[in-house]
Amino acid sequence: MTWADVGWLVLSVGLFLGFISFVVLFLTYAERKFIGRIQQRLGPMRTGPFGLLQPVADAIKLLSKEDLVPGRADRFLFWIAPLIVFVPAIVIWVSIPFTRDIVIENLELGIFFVLAVMGLSIAGILMAGWSSFNKYAMLGAVRAAAQLISYELPLLVAVLGVVMIAGSLDLQVIVAEQNTVWYIVLQPVAFLLFFTAGLAEVGRTPFDIPMAESELIGGPFVEYSGMHWSMFFMAEYANTFAIAVLTTLLFLGGWRGPAPATGWGQDVMMAFWFLTKASAVILVIFWIRATIPRLRIDQLMSLAWKVLLPLAFANLVMTAFYLFYGWPDWSIVLLSLGLLMATVYGYYVRRRSRLPRPVTVKLRVRQGRIVG
Amino acid sequence: MIGFFKSLAVTLQSMLRKPVTVQYPGEHLPMSPRYLGFPGLLWDDAVDEPACTGCLVCARYCPTDCITVSMKDNPLHKEGKSKRRKIVDDFQIRMERCILCGICVEVCNFEAIAMTDYHEEADISRGDLIATKEDLFRMGRDYQKRAGIVVGAGSGSEGEE
Repeated sequence: MTWADVGWLVLSVGLFLGFISFVVLFLTYAERKFIGRIQQRLGPMRTGPFGLLQPVADAIKLLSKEDLVPGRADRFLFWIAPLIVFVPAIVIWVSIPFTRDIVIENLELGIFFVLAVMGLSIAGILMAGWSSFNKYAMLGAVRAAAQLISYELPLLVAVLGVVMIAGSLDLQVIVAEQNTVWYIVLQPVAFLLFFTAGLAEVGRTPFDIPMAESELIGGPFVEYSGMHWSMFFMAEYANTFAIAVLTTLLFLGGWRGPAPATGWGQDVMMAFWFLTKASAVILVIFWIRATIPRLRIDQLMSLAWKVLLPLAFANLVMTAFYLFYGWPDWSIVLLSLGLLMATVYGYYVRRRSRLPRPVTVKLRVRQGRIVG
Repeated sequence: MIGFFKSLAVTLQSMLRKPVTVQYPGEHLPMSPRYLGFPGLLWDDAVDEPACTGCLVCARYCPTDCITVSMKDNPLHKEGKSKRRKIVDDFQIRMERCILCGICVEVCNFEAIAMTDYHEEADISRGDLIATKEDLFRMGRDYQKRAGIVVGAGSGSEGEE
């Protein structure tokens, strides 16, 4: 490795870091604006034109706040926990391709690496909860651990279906394989599973049970303030963006879209399609946040273990049959839709079985009088 | 399951509606006609003098004792231009004590005081919280113009109710 290589690496990593920070800042603004409009408010309006400088104002506020450490906290763990949450959220971007050419280091095990590193952040959250010396923080951390372990399984098994069809873990190959048809068509069940489990993975509403402002005041982050708190915050938004980007890459054809065949125009259009699709997924995430209330913790667990995981395995087996016997494409689409309809039907059957039954009383009437 | 998609549709519909936010210091909502804001003194445009004679009734009935009034002989009466023998000399209301109850308006014999729709009473020093005669006339005349109140247009004080 020459000095030029090192310089190029440092430059590209710096560019990516800057881009991710910008996206995170902009996402906070976009979320507040979008949810404001859904609630018929305007959202931030005072700082700058249309409140565009609101993220900057927030950042300045957080930077100038005192970094408090609780008296009986485990100081070392308390200090290092935000870093352990923050670093994986940034590291995954090393191997996520934005277009065919814009990527720092494309790995052959790309999706495997991304999901494995994303799972690391739970260690940081547990450390934060433990070291804060606060029962709310501890409860939140334990909930986060339970949630992440539960949802990691359907997430991974859903991704497996896509990986089996593409025949590679390399994200660039997965996108290249979607040249005829996007995998959302071939794997609709996997798409829904991945999206749902992804929401749970990053702790967005309706799966924000670890944070749960109204119950746990903020979960593992109760005792954090200033820059340390904002690192958790940035990690959350970076992970949200990562889930949107992964959904785009795995199911929505990545950077595929109408583009000129060669030249720099191709790269620009690729980046444009990629960011447009990712933004659309992000907006759906915000939309769901503005709509659905938080799940109860037992609902969360039963959703993961009783619905998502069996569905994921069914999808996996289905995909395996499709690949092994070389069935035509429409067969797996039909099978997936059948699986979804069976799930919906099962949901209604179960719900009806749990409704209170109407009470029927047989009355014996003789000569207009009730006799028992 | 259907409810999930229904709720998504509801939020989408509400997003398409116009935001209800009023950007307050820049824009104001119109006050309701029956809103009890700060009391203001009315002006008799026919004679071009205050409608208030400084009779002290409002000051005596004020439950919080926030009104200070004094009267003087009306120079216009000597000239024969006005029916009022006495006229208000000085009139002050302490905003920090006024409870906006409207009793001064109820008891006034000359319909010289009215509850305006002014409600932005905050100020940066205690001295500024005393509404002088000029402030009260400014508020009252402005409100008069907007609400279309003409002093003396009614049947006067007697036999009204």
